[in-house]
Amino acid sequence: MTALIVAQLRDRRRSVLAWGLPLGLMSALVVAIYPSVEEALAEAIRSYPEALKEAFGIGDLSNVEQYLEAEMLSLIVPLAAGYLAVRSVASGLSGAAESGRLDVLLSAPVSRRRVVASGFAATAVELAAVLAVSLALTACGSWLSGAGLSLGAALAGFANVWPLALVFAALGIVVTGASLRTNVVTGSVAGVLVAMYVADLVGRLDPGLDWVRYGSVFRYYGAAVEDGIDPLAFGGVTAVAVGLAALGALAFERHDLTR
Amino acid sequence: MATIETEDLTKFYGAKRGIEDVTLSVEPGEVFGFLGPNGAGKTTTIRTMLDLLHPSRGSARLFGLDSRRESVAIRRRIGNLPGDFGFGKRASGREALSLLARLRGIEGGGRAERLAERFHADLDRPLGELSRGNRQKVGLILALFHNPELLVLDEPTSGLDPLMQEEFLALVGEERERGCTVFVSSHELDEVERVCDRVGIIRDGRLVAVEGVAELLGKAQRRVSVEFAEPVDAAELRSLPGVTELETADGRVVFRASGDLDAIVKALARYRVTDVEIAHPTLEEVFLTYYEERL
Repeated sequence: MTALIVAQLRDRRRSVLAWGLPLGLMSALVVAIYPSVEEALAEAIRSYPEALKEAFGIGDLSNVEQYLEAEMLSLIVPLAAGYLAVRSVASGLSGAAESGRLDVLLSAPVSRRRVVASGFAATAVELAAVLAVSLALTACGSWLSGAGLSLGAALAGFANVWPLALVFAALGIVVTGASLRTNVVTGSVAGVLVAMYVADLVGRLDPGLDWVRYGSVFRYYGAAVEDGIDPLAFGGVTAVAVGLAALGALAFERHDLTR
Repeated sequence: MATIETEDLTKFYGAKRGIEDVTLSVEPGEVFGFLGPNGAGKTTTIRTMLDLLHPSRGSARLFGLDSRRESVAIRRRIGNLPGDFGFGKRASGREALSLLARLRGIEGGGRAERLAERFHADLDRPLGELSRGNRQKVGLILALFHNPELLVLDEPTSGLDPLMQEEFLALVGEERERGCTVFVSSHELDEVERVCDRVGIIRDGRLVAVEGVAELLGKAQRRVSVEFAEPVDAAELRSLPGVTELETADGRVVFRASGDLDAIVKALARYRVTDVEIAHPTLEEVFLTYYEERL
């Protein structure tokens, strides 16, 4: 299986930079400008309605870590990483089926389950690499600007995105078990990603609708920059992702490979 | 034990029939041609045999192993060239080869370099930059590099230039000598005739016939054109066994003939013949023969 993972990672080298660089540069910029906007920001935040602050996880923004959380890690990074995750598994499975690559791979003595597992594992590594590149650039931004970002807090914030994004990779595998069209897989799971985000947002805005958050993985995302990683949520969400991927692998095994 | 054995192999795509009740057997060391027009069910049969599609009913056994439950063990022993071979656009043939060699536990590339030299294949350029024919050469190398016991080739010469087609046909002969069983699908009668021991004909998803190549061609209708130096009795020729659609014009008689030509040749020899042409049967003519037999 290692050979399959390595081959897929080789194909995704560009993707690590294509996603890691912009996310990292944006985060670095956010961190770098914090010292110059700190005062004005604090004043503006004080005027925001409490519900809005609650919904978007906007605290006092009295330090750069909270600013990074509010600007990048509560919306842009998780949504981008979730989309990248589903796009990666879709290109590794349905994309490979469409291009004929899967026919060739499955002419070799390797089971479909292994192909799925390697695709999921390669996506997990790719996500980790993208988040690591983003973290490294963010740290550089802080160092260059003297913003004083806590590396531990930033590490927790970026690392916390990983299991969340993996859930969408796993959902991509589940959908691949029903359709081998890349557009269908990517489009439907991207829709679920947005729907889950909105459901979580609505639930936080209106306590009466809190129940809708139970259907969203974002409910368990938290704010790791401020609170640190919740091991239970981190492990639970990762386990859900692995479980969904296993279900998807079973469905994929029963699926006809047509082109 | 047969290398390939299918029994009532059937595949429906929803309500649409792919193949139905395909029962055939391919013996070890045999080169078996699977002949049919586009859309007849050749690829569906191959993909169902190789567990890429799941049969709606019936079964396939390769090397005595069940194609569904033991597909990994089967694939250890086969080489497969899928129809319209592809491996993504960015990967080169060498990268694909390296991955497949590792999956098969083969050190180096087996005989890939020798094959690449023989087929003038470029293993280093990204496959997306290669023409269809050059991509097909890479596909052939990937199917052959590990000396499989069974080669499954779906339209292997499509896109190859005539010289490479010749090289391919020679290679199939060598594979047979090595003891390899070859299952090759094609819609080119010439190609099948030259390398295959037996031929299965599929049309509209059903196996119409399985015959030795000589029997197949012997039964097929051929178009015969004979020019005579003297008047002939057209009615006599028309009454000969196997003669149909006979027409005469300007001292030339044109007709279709099927089966044993002995009686026809002897009847023609009673006249002074100045020219004879017996056209090779086309695939459609072969099919026509078998359809008429079944009606």
